[in-house]
Amino acid sequence: MLRKKSLFAVLAVLMALAIVLSGCAKGGATGPEINMNLNTEPPTADPSLATDTTSVQVDELLFLGLTDFDDQTLDVIPELATEWSVSADGLEWTFKMRDDAFWVRYNPENGKVEKLDKVTAHDVAYGVKRTIDPNTASDYAYVDYIIKNAYAVNTGESTDLDSVGVEAVDDFTVKFTLEQPAGYFPGIAGMWINRPQPREAIETFGEKWTEPGNIVTNGSYVMTEWAHESHMTMIKNPHHFDAKDVQIAKINWAMVVEESTAFAMYENGELDVANAPLADIDRIKADATLSSELYIAPDLCTYYYGFNNTKPPFDNKLVRQAFSAAIDRQKLIDTVLKGEQKVAKTFACPGIFGSPAEDPAFEGITFDPAKAKQLLADAGYPNGEGLPEITLMINTSEGHQKIAEFIQASWKENLGVEVQVANQEWAVYLKTVHEDSPQVYRMGWCADYPDENNWVAEVFHPIKGSNEPKWDPESDSAKRFMQLVEDAALSSDPEERARLYYEAEQILTVDEAVIAPIYYYTRVVLTKPYVNRTYAPLGGEHIDKWSVEGK
Amino acid sequence: MSRFIIRRLIWTIPVILFISIVTFLLVHAVPGGPFDTEKPRPAEIQANLMKHYGLDQPLWKQYTDYMGFTRNPSGDYAGILQWDFGPSITQRSRTVNEIFAAHLPVSATLGVAALLIAVGVGVPLGIIASLKQNSAWDYLSMALAIVGVSVPSIVIGPILILVFALTLGWLPVAGWGSFKHILMPSLALGLSSSAIIARLTRASMLQVIREDYIRTARAKGLSEKVVIVRHALKNAFIPVATVLGPMFAALVTGTFVIEQIFAIPGLGKYFISSITNRDYSVVMGTTLLYALFLVASNLFVDVTYAFLDPRIQFE
Repeated sequence: MLRKKSLFAVLAVLMALAIVLSGCAKGGATGPEINMNLNTEPPTADPSLATDTTSVQVDELLFLGLTDFDDQTLDVIPELATEWSVSADGLEWTFKMRDDAFWVRYNPENGKVEKLDKVTAHDVAYGVKRTIDPNTASDYAYVDYIIKNAYAVNTGESTDLDSVGVEAVDDFTVKFTLEQPAGYFPGIAGMWINRPQPREAIETFGEKWTEPGNIVTNGSYVMTEWAHESHMTMIKNPHHFDAKDVQIAKINWAMVVEESTAFAMYENGELDVANAPLADIDRIKADATLSSELYIAPDLCTYYYGFNNTKPPFDNKLVRQAFSAAIDRQKLIDTVLKGEQKVAKTFACPGIFGSPAEDPAFEGITFDPAKAKQLLADAGYPNGEGLPEITLMINTSEGHQKIAEFIQASWKENLGVEVQVANQEWAVYLKTVHEDSPQVYRMGWCADYPDENNWVAEVFHPIKGSNEPKWDPESDSAKRFMQLVEDAALSSDPEERARLYYEAEQILTVDEAVIAPIYYYTRVVLTKPYVNRTYAPLGGEHIDKWSVEGK
Repeated sequence: MSRFIIRRLIWTIPVILFISIVTFLLVHAVPGGPFDTEKPRPAEIQANLMKHYGLDQPLWKQYTDYMGFTRNPSGDYAGILQWDFGPSITQRSRTVNEIFAAHLPVSATLGVAALLIAVGVGVPLGIIASLKQNSAWDYLSMALAIVGVSVPSIVIGPILILVFALTLGWLPVAGWGSFKHILMPSLALGLSSSAIIARLTRASMLQVIREDYIRTARAKGLSEKVVIVRHALKNAFIPVATVLGPMFAALVTGTFVIEQIFAIPGLGKYFISSITNRDYSVVMGTTLLYALFLVASNLFVDVTYAFLDPRIQFE
């Protein structure tokens, strides 16, 4: 009996202790909190190494860039830079920086956010050079190849890191020298890979510098806890120059991979924002409360099918056009995807500078079964007779499978062609597509920065890109295409650039039908009514501009 | 007995070596690498990354570096021998040792809880079913066992969430950190194992209670309780103990589906994601860890045989 009692006493003390301790750990910021889902463990918080949307989301809140993109217009807007100018030859870009941004570090021992040195042009130059330094092994360094000598240094041709075209003219002026003029450069200058980085912390802690307690940041939020695979906590940075306009004091990030679990947590009030799982969309739309919390935001991504332009029958452009015209994209969206995606007629989606996606004059290849049949007959395959065996390849995924089956049925119905659907596991699939793409293969592309250069030039330039469709660079169409995208990159006249990209898209998706664009992505998101928010089409939500009222 | 244990422990070394070689060869034989992405990288960057992780070395050298038999390109002996499982390729700020340290305790907690449920539910169910063979109790407990085995945890998990979190509001939907978070996942995990244990216990008990020594025990006038617990169950437990070994190793090192559904920061997902990401050092690390657990728990089971059945001796 006595033993039982003492056991209870011990348990009671332990429980009390647990309550007190968990209470202690929570302290810190006061004010509204928000519960968000990062969807997965961020692979990194290091700006030089981030490649995925989760890491970019974390970096967006922790690190300021010279520039940023406006969520509404996608225009480049100032962030650390107050103004910028370009030399007459278009090669030198000078950014003037504000002098009231500070590095901060969260001290886990006393729970305070410590104010360190000012963020200077030297930190920008350090960050850019660190991304380009081959020892960093940054995946995204190639985006910076536009900067002078970046390519040479990153590829080891040169070991002189100081020859890279970025320098601090004074503490608050940074100058970039480019390899060739690039009108879209201000957007690149603000990308996460080019953000100022804390040299001292990085040199002290090595690859561990992104752990809480070590990490030194300058953004609107400060990371206070990172329990890997479980959760991350951020509090408002009190030393941020715009701190008075940041309303949400604390962000509790969960890392829930399973969409249906995250949605259950949303319904249970454990998350304030969640993606709508495809399986639940019909229920959400039918539910008065949930449907009022639903928002379908455009996402700067395009889903497409590529054709291997060397493999019969797709070495004939009429066949490619016929297959593209035989896809009933709207029906696919209405019956399979259900997320109000938009029918794609171009490769670059709406919102990308230079994309004719919303230009009514650009017709693209639309669903037209009669014309598709005619094109196939003109190619020498009336009703699909005489066609070799055709394989459509996708990477293994329930979603891609459903889409492929729909399109397979579309082609059977509208062209009378039997197509085999094959799938491979992701990493194997990537290798297949890069090395020897199948006759028809699935791919997607999302914007790194909202300019056509990131799309038609970086993806489909038959020589500079990876040329998955095996488009013959010696063909007249490819030569014209390369000329167009190269001229557009060099030009600083927006109207001329748009005109050049219009023609490039026309060649890519219509005249040559190198690919068949299928749909532009959307994000189907639910947000609790007490959250006032913005939607960042490029990813990296600006939670510093959100507010929570009456939760 | 101690000679037996020592001999088995020594045998572990070639077993682990063999597993490490096979795993290493398999994971490198699969097409695709850790740096293949949708946005193909220029060959130069690919080369930088390969060099950074020592993947530019010949395959045999990569293996011996990983095992800690040879000096790696930075001139250190840093491998399994030195208890260094290497860096994770997909999570660059973390090492595999850190991943184990952070996630193995979580999976182990969940696994032990699930195992307790499995044994706590399975053994009594099996005993009842065997003692009341062909009665309503038998059919009921075996029906429960069949449901437990045939309904996958991917179905049980969401049902539990729907009932206990969304409808009744007793438990949080998912996550980790408090006692409440353990209940649903350990139940979902433990139920299917309990079904296996229940069926095994029943079958084994049915066999044992027909043995002569049980009749002898009864003839001696022992109470039914003593006969069942001391004489029957102890012997009937041998096949159950046999499955408990691998079951323990599997539950403790983490379960992908349950961890995914309940958003638990366990080790289970690393078994799967490391393969899809071709995160070579994590694949090797998780496989070897699992192998170690399996070897150890099988050894433990073998040792317990001697206690369960005096007829079993190790010489």
